[in-house]
Amino acid sequence: MRIYTLAVYLFLYIPIGIIVLFSFNAGRHASDFHGFSIKWYGTVLANPFAMEALATSLIVASTTAVLASIFGTMAALALQKVKGRIRAIYDAAIYIAIMIPGIVIGIATLIALVTAFKFLNPVLENFWPGFLGDAPHLNMGYASVIASHTMFTMALVIVIVRARISGMDRALIEASADLYATPWRTFWQVTLPQIFPAILAGFLLSFTFSFDDFIIAFFVAGTETTLPLYVFSSIRRGVTPEINAIGTMVLTVSLTLLITAQFLLRGRGSQSSTQ
Amino acid sequence: MYGSWANRLLLVPATVWLLVMLVLPLLVVIIFSFGERGTAGGYVPAFTLEQYANLSARFTAFKNTLLLAPTGTFLCLLVAYPLAYFLAVKVHPKWKTLLLVMIIVPFWTSILIRTYAWIFILGGQGLPKVLGFLGIEGVRLINTPTAVLIGIVYAYLPLMVFPVYVSLEKLDKRLLEAASDLGSSPIEAFRNVTLPLSIPGVATGCMLVFILLMGEFLIPALLGGGKVFFIGNALVDLFLQSRNWAYGSAVAATLVIIMLVTVSIYMKLVVRNQQ
Amino acid sequence: MSKKNDQPISRKKFMQELRRYERGSVTRRHFLGVTGLGVATAVMGAAVPGLLPRKSWAATDIGDRVILATWPNYHDPANFEKFTEMTGAHVQVNVFGSNEEMLAKLQAGGSGWDVFVPTNYTITTYVGEDLIEPLELSKINNFEASAFDPRFSDAGTVNGTVYAVPKNWGTTGYVVNTKHTGGKQLTTWKEFWDITKTDFTGRTMVHDYQLTTIGNALKYFGYSFNSVDPNELADAEKLLIEVKPHLYAINSDYQPPLRNGDAWMSMCWTGDGKQLNTDMPEMQYVLGKEGGEIWSDYYAVPKSAPHRDAGYALIDFLLDPAVNAKEVLAHGYPVADSRTNELLPKELLEDPILYPAQELLDALEFGAAATLTDPNRAELLARFKSA
Repeated sequence: MRIYTLAVYLFLYIPIGIIVLFSFNAGRHASDFHGFSIKWYGTVLANPFAMEALATSLIVASTTAVLASIFGTMAALALQKVKGRIRAIYDAAIYIAIMIPGIVIGIATLIALVTAFKFLNPVLENFWPGFLGDAPHLNMGYASVIASHTMFTMALVIVIVRARISGMDRALIEASADLYATPWRTFWQVTLPQIFPAILAGFLLSFTFSFDDFIIAFFVAGTETTLPLYVFSSIRRGVTPEINAIGTMVLTVSLTLLITAQFLLRGRGSQSSTQ
Repeated sequence: MYGSWANRLLLVPATVWLLVMLVLPLLVVIIFSFGERGTAGGYVPAFTLEQYANLSARFTAFKNTLLLAPTGTFLCLLVAYPLAYFLAVKVHPKWKTLLLVMIIVPFWTSILIRTYAWIFILGGQGLPKVLGFLGIEGVRLINTPTAVLIGIVYAYLPLMVFPVYVSLEKLDKRLLEAASDLGSSPIEAFRNVTLPLSIPGVATGCMLVFILLMGEFLIPALLGGGKVFFIGNALVDLFLQSRNWAYGSAVAATLVIIMLVTVSIYMKLVVRNQQ
Repeated sequence: MSKKNDQPISRKKFMQELRRYERGSVTRRHFLGVTGLGVATAVMGAAVPGLLPRKSWAATDIGDRVILATWPNYHDPANFEKFTEMTGAHVQVNVFGSNEEMLAKLQAGGSGWDVFVPTNYTITTYVGEDLIEPLELSKINNFEASAFDPRFSDAGTVNGTVYAVPKNWGTTGYVVNTKHTGGKQLTTWKEFWDITKTDFTGRTMVHDYQLTTIGNALKYFGYSFNSVDPNELADAEKLLIEVKPHLYAINSDYQPPLRNGDAWMSMCWTGDGKQLNTDMPEMQYVLGKEGGEIWSDYYAVPKSAPHRDAGYALIDFLLDPAVNAKEVLAHGYPVADSRTNELLPKELLEDPILYPAQELLDALEFGAAATLTDPNRAELLARFKSA
């Protein structure tokens, strides 16, 4: 049993080891090792495209996570009071949003937006009031990736937060109302603290999904390049250890964040439970 | 409580998002699937069932997906179950968190980069060479279904381990002791006590992995060398090579229908079994 | 310049020096000196930063980036570094394996490219679909129409307007690792497909590109490379489906597996054949006796180019004969520009991979516009891949 577990962990970590090892390769080709060097880290940091792809991914992922957790939480709160057929429609839409493959979302969004823009752009050009300057030209880019990621992750947040709400102590809310607290106050002082762990979980999940998503962005990113898209096109160009360096850096940053978070939590001495 | 108008207001962003980014694109896919391909590609409005009549041209891709997705899911379960069992039941609590976190850590480098590492491992200079030293000659891994399955198990293992772990974690060890006191062999105890308790976790894990595999593109694209084709790969080709939006829409719509049907049947079965 | 430096050097030595230069282990000066390219230093000097006030883009600010969509192993990375040094604009290279993929990306809107590299037979379609712009030739001083062989530059002009300027030309044959043929020389497409089904099973690669993969399957039967005849295509499809289980991969980036020994044979373009043959003499580039493709690639500017000025500057830079000569030394494709050829070593201009024998060339066909847009050919490749 122990040996088996060890084997599975090896299976999980050998590729990671190879990525890290080859990020220190002095040679140009990823396939053979030419001695130790950290030059590829310098190359990545000096490469404006890699850095911009990273920035794009961070912007897309954080915007997505903020929008998805706010709108998702709002919807989850509201949906408790929606009953009957309308509720069934919402449930079905959320279920479909989560279940549909990313590739279908990407393709569907692409053809829908390209077609819509084809109609809208001439209309905008003709009817745009001149005093507002040039008519905007609608195109795929930040907005389409963020919108598409938010759609999917918002559905995730709704499901997670709703699960938390259903496990919530109703008596508290009723007591608060009995004490003549305004709905707003009840929300801030009673509901929000209770559902906060779920919102946080949803936020993190949304961020992670958006940051790592390749397939949706592949179709809807237009002229923007997110980090996974950059990595994909670099792989096609023949991998240099630069890509391994990017992977190692992302891994190191995530690990550092995790350890720091762990430290802070322990420092506060709170044993916070997630769900 | 929130007045009804406030409740509606809360639902507005989610509703708009689902309409514009989910319902509208899916409607476009359905409409396009009855259209025709333009001369230079793209879409020309029409009403024809030709695209659906031609679905058999992607029969192999559908077959591959419907074979490899369940196989991949099953292999994931096979590898994950003993690991989850070990972590939930056998490991000292002190080590649990660390070992669990270590399963997620590989997730923090891009799936693209990790899969790329497998190209190297499974290629002629990797594992087959090592096996060659051990006297096992002529093993070919890269660009075979085996390579794709290895990549799949690697990528989706954590998604299977966690739900199974959570369900096994709830297992009351006294039940096992009671079973052994009553003269059950460990195998019998496992079959009669542990296994039934873990079913919900297994069901959740399998569904998660299966849904994701049905839309898989990246792993077959990188480890299958263009030879192991999922529906996801066929879709990318239809939109990014042959530019047949009408036929691509029909294939996408069919994939969604297949998924909705299989997942609904699966959920019914699981719910019935649990009653 | 010393006397010794003007001595001609052998082809082998030349390529060795080139590799050393590329790896950065010798300086440019050493390289130029040793290889005899020093003769061209005066011209080369013209490409050094800041020495060229006549460049329209040297004076203007072209921004800090330019995005190029091109093919695998198709440029000298050192040239891009030089461009960045000279203009401050970084070059992002996106690699594609087929013209279809480039067209699909442009049709879907917002490719984000400033310059891309279409092949001769696709340009009329891009013009028809309103996807590329007529080139502002005043921004490409280095394009001197009279210096180019019209066979390889004509396709850039549509209805009297220049939409694209020639990059280089080449042929599509195959490369085979002769270590595995037992010394046998392959000469035909028939042999390519037959040996794939037998001795080379699991070792052959074909392009992920309908024009060449279908075209060279058509050649097995002696049909035209450009055929859109349903019966002939059906024969080609049958062959492809039959061969598929014997393939190593379907991929247009075939150098890595050929180099590490996983694959033994692949459909191959001139330059890749040259690059492989230089590093591994056992790699032989073969043009099928039955024929196949001869082609010419061009630089074009998409309508939506976000960094248009930088795009023009990059085209102009790459067409500078001195820069272009370095490109040729790196990619190993022949160019149609007589000014560039003057700077290239004689050995390269007589190289049988770059300049095949006349009777082999005579059998080759240029791709036809109809093959790009023919729905059956596109669908055939997609069916083959998903089979």
